[in-house]
Parts: sequence; structure tokens; C-alpha cells
Amino acid sequence: MRLTRLSLTNYRAFAQVEVVLPRGVVVLVGDNAQGKTSLLESVFFLAAFTSFQTSQDNQVVNFTARGDDIPVTRIVAEYERAEKQHKLEIRLILQGGSAEYGTGRLRKEILLDGIKKNAAAAVGHFNAVVFIPQMSRYIDNGPEERRRYLNLTLAQIVPGYADDLTRYTRGLIRRNALLKQLQEQGGDAGMLDYWDELLADCGSRLISARDAAVREITALASPVHFTLTGMEENFSMQYLPALTQVEADLPGDINELHASYLARLRGNHRVDIARGTTSIGPHRDDLRFVVNGNNLADFGSRGQVRTALQSLKLGELQWMKERTGEMPVMLLDETLAELDEHRRAGLLESLAECEQVLLTTTDLDLFTPDFLRSGQIWQVRAGEIEISK
Amino acid sequence: MAGLPEPLQDLVDAFSRLPGIGPKTASRLAFYLLNSPDEVSHGLSSALEGLKAGITLCPECFNITLAGRERCEICSSSQRDTASLCVVEKPLDVLVLEKTGAFTGRYHVLHGVLSPIEGIGPNDLRIRELLDRVRNGDIHEVILATNPSMEGDATAQYLQKQLAGSGARVTRLARGLPVGGELEYADQNTLLRALAGRQEL
Ligand SMILES: Nc1ncnc2c1ncn2[C@@H]1O[C@H](COP(=O)(O)OP(=O)(O)OP(=O)(O)O)[C@@H](O)[C@H]1O
Ligand SMILES: [Mg+2]
Ligand SMILES: [Zn+2]
Repeated sequence: MRLTRLSLTNYRAFAQVEVVLPRGVVVLVGDNAQGKTSLLESVFFLAAFTSFQTSQDNQVVNFTARGDDIPVTRIVAEYERAEKQHKLEIRLILQGGSAEYGTGRLRKEILLDGIKKNAAAAVGHFNAVVFIPQMSRYIDNGPEERRRYLNLTLAQIVPGYADDLTRYTRGLIRRNALLKQLQEQGGDAGMLDYWDELLADCGSRLISARDAAVREITALASPVHFTLTGMEENFSMQYLPALTQVEADLPGDINELHASYLARLRGNHRVDIARGTTSIGPHRDDLRFVVNGNNLADFGSRGQVRTALQSLKLGELQWMKERTGEMPVMLLDETLAELDEHRRAGLLESLAECEQVLLTTTDLDLFTPDFLRSGQIWQVRAGEIEISK
Repeated sequence: MAGLPEPLQDLVDAFSRLPGIGPKTASRLAFYLLNSPDEVSHGLSSALEGLKAGITLCPECFNITLAGRERCEICSSSQRDTASLCVVEKPLDVLVLEKTGAFTGRYHVLHGVLSPIEGIGPNDLRIRELLDRVRNGDIHEVILATNPSMEGDATAQYLQKQLAGSGARVTRLARGLPVGGELEYADQNTLLRALAGRQEL
């Protein structure tokens, strides 16, 4: 799939831009702080309805527009999927914000082919994979970062995942509130039954989707990694479900999984009431990245981490293609500068398979003249875009 | 900065406390009243005063009714089927169901739903009264008509468990696709529920 047209209004430093996008490679070049990353971020927004840089989406609203009566940020895109043209529009309406950066509540309106949809229903129509330097936080930071990665990837591809995740999250907030209430005031623990069932219902589908996706992505990423490392490293990503600690102990059958999950939730009533929070479930899941048997978080060198992430992203790209039959749009931010020549060549080679790639750089010298000739080069300067070739 | 004169500001504040009314609408309403003939504001003020004094809750079903009445119109009507009870969240729901004319039994208004977030438990609702009514009356069917929200569903499930063994048949309002709606526009949840609640033709 590919974008054919993109228009941004009040998106970060872009007051207003509109571009027509070609098939193949677009290289966004410019000095620091000109808007290159912001442009990639806006394209990812079309796939995930959230930013890849921050979980505070209100930050994308243009500073100057914050002074408007009703500040509205707009991302409007036309894209081609399976030879059909579609239109996706996102309106981000800032409510109750002051001129200050990052304040106010953001209301999201999504129109897919002119019809209003909620995010859970609109997700999955436009797909993108993002490859950015900050991804090392998947490995360095806590488990929330890794769950966010899983969620943003799976919501795009697995039907019903986004919906289950929304319901799970809402249910979890309510179950936890009820646990606190029971802890402080006592009362009938039978009121937990409904929330146990709701969490087991949505949660078992989340767990089983994560389990399958992690195995499938690993199967695609590890041969890539093997080649990239001159057949020296075996890479795998392991799913650590909070329910059973190890993936191997998860019941293979979804109904069995549901039954044992529900039994655990019920069995935990006393502990959960005492803690005032739900102790097991997908909100406590984690991932581990392993190279040659060692956990990358503990033993990985910077270079190993970078290579592993590259393999992961290429695996993810293939996975999305296999699941949906469509190649997602690939977004690369500055990542080439960090790679050695061999890995850079490996990456550029895999990009040739993509229908569309947007990549940013401050330095065109990182690319071969051949590569540059194959694509378009856009100059990004102070929130303006100029197509220079 | 010079503010509004106090009496005007008081009214603006009072309007702003109402649901769905923001500061701008509140000022517009207040200025409208200030500029309209006296009858308009007198009419409003006496309607407001009459509201609390003139309305009370029916001791049987807890729907709102005229003060001074022993029971509400529905509870005291001999035309209504006394064997079936429809449980709703709020008085407005009774009005909506009555408009359809399809239900001939009587109601029970809970005045809310179990809400963990707002800290509303069974004792904050008219649940004990409901259980008493079902136990002591000759009720054959209880229709749970709380909203199809998470809280509404949780409340219905809780009531269903409490009512088990009462002898009454407990049913839940069917949920599904809005009439006149198109399949394509329905969200996934609505579709799943409609599918789960499908009926033989
Ligand atoms: N909401 C906003 N409104 C206006 N400008 C913003 C907003 N958010 C960020 N900016 C500005 O946008 C610029 C950053 O843009 P971006 O991160 O896209 O730059 P870049 O071209 O990727 O730079 P680098 O090469 O340093 O990564 C900064 O100057 C920042 O102040
Ligand atoms: Mg950048
Ligand atoms: Zn009554």
C-alpha cells in the first residue's frame, strides 16, 4: 500500500503543507529541528491514531494554533490499497487547553472514506512500520514500552485486537476501582463476577493474539538477523505472559485459555482485594529479546541492540505483508546513520521490496548515488517542504 | 479585569453547573433572560420553584410522580399487568418505554447503576426494594432494561444473580443493530452482540 497525497494542518511545525507522494523511496533531508521526524510521525498517526514519539498526543497541536478559539490539527491522506483509492482524515481538536505546550484534552475524530469511525474500527486500514533510533527503549525501558510496541503493531493487523484492548482497559479500570471499594468498605465480592468474565473474555483473545504474533514475527526476523550478522547470531523475541510466566505453559486452545484465566481471576479475589489491584492479565505481560541465548537487555552491546531492532523491524514488515497481503508503508528516521556499511546495505536491499519508504536524514552522503537516483528527495526547512528532485 | 455584576454572574454560574452547558452558553442564556420581558424570567423562576415541591418519588416503583399522590399513575392503574416488572436506570427511561406502548407491566427505577468508578454500590440504588417487591409480589417476569454499557451490563448481571431463586423469570432487553442502520456502519461490538442475540425467523 502507499500514500498518494498527504495534507497537514497545524501539525507540529507545519502550519499547512500538502504533498503528492510517489511510489518507492522519498528521502526527507534537512538540518536539525526542521520537521523531518514530525512528518513521519504524522504518517504513523494514520496507522495507529497516536504518536510514536509521545503518549501525550496533544503535543502535536501546532504552537501558534493553540491560540485559536478551537485549535484543530488535521491530517488528511489519500492512499492506495489493493489498487483502490481511499481517504483517511484525522481531526485532533484541542479542548480546554491553554497556549501552553501539552495542556488540554484532545478529541479525535476519524473519517474513513468520509464516514466517521471510532479508532478501534478505523485502525488496520492504513498500515505503517516505523524504525527510529528511540526504539532502543523497547529494550532498555520497562515493560510498558514493550506492551505499547505490541499493541501498536497488533492493533494494525489483528482484527478485533484494538476493540478488545479498549474494552480490556476500560474493564480493568473498573475492576480495580471495585477492588479498592471492596478493600475500603467491604461488600459483596460477587460484584466482581461480571468484570472477571469481561477481562477473561477480551484478555484471552489479547494473549492468544500476542502469542501467535510474537512467534510469527520471530520466525521471520531470525533468518534476517542470521544473515545480517554473518551467520553468527540467533535472534528471538519471547513472549512472557503474566498469566503463566512462560509462553510454553499457555493453553494452546483459546477456550481452555479462557477457562484457566477466568479461574485464576476468581481464585485471586482475596489477594486482589487486599492489593486493591488486578494482579494478573495482559496489562502485566512482557517481552524479551534474546540473542544466542542471552537477554539483550542485560548483555547486548549497542551494536547488537541496533542490529536486533533492524531484524525485528524487517520481520515485522514481512509479517504485516503475510497477514494482510499488503506491504505496509515503511518509515525510517535517522536509523541509517547508526548502522555500519554492511547492515546499511542489508537494510537498503530489503527496502527495495517496499511499495513506499519515507526516510529522513541530515546527510545525503550516507546514500549511494544509485539509491538517491531511484527516489525523490524532499528538502524540509522550518515546516515547509520543497521537492528538490 | 471588571467582571459581570454579581446577580448576573450568579445566574451564569448556576447555568454552568447544568449538564451540557458550557460557560459561553451559560452567559448567552443569562443575557437572554436579562433582555427579555419580565414574564419570561418569572415563568422560569416559578417553574423552578414548583419543580422540587411538586415532584416526589412513588414509594412503590420509585419513578417520579406528582407530590401528594399515594402511588404513581402506572402503579395505581388497574389496566397494568402486575405480574411483570421492567427495571430501568432512571425515570426518563420509563418515559421512553411508555412512548412505545409495547410494555403493559409496571416499572422499577433503580436511580443509577453499579459504578465502581463513581463508588456506587448496591446500597446506593433501589436494589433492596426491588428484591422485596419481587419476593413479596406475585411477579412472573423481571425484564432488566439497564443500558447496554459496561456498568449497565454489570448491574443487570448482578441483579440476575440476586433474583435467582425468586421464582420469577429474569430477562434482559435484546441488543442489536439499530433499525434503519447499515451493517457497514455498525461498530464491531454492536455486530458481535447482534450476532450473539440473533433470532430464528
Ligand atoms: N506542537 C508544535 N508546534 C510547533 N512546532 C513544534 C511543535 N512540536 C515540535 N515543534 C518544533 O518542531 C521541530 C522539531 O521537528 P522534528 O523533530 O520533526 O525535526 P527534525 O527535522 O526531525 O530534526 P532532527 O534532525 O533534529 O531530528 C522543533 O523545532 C520543535 O520546536
Ligand atoms: Mg528528527
Ligand atoms: Zn410507581
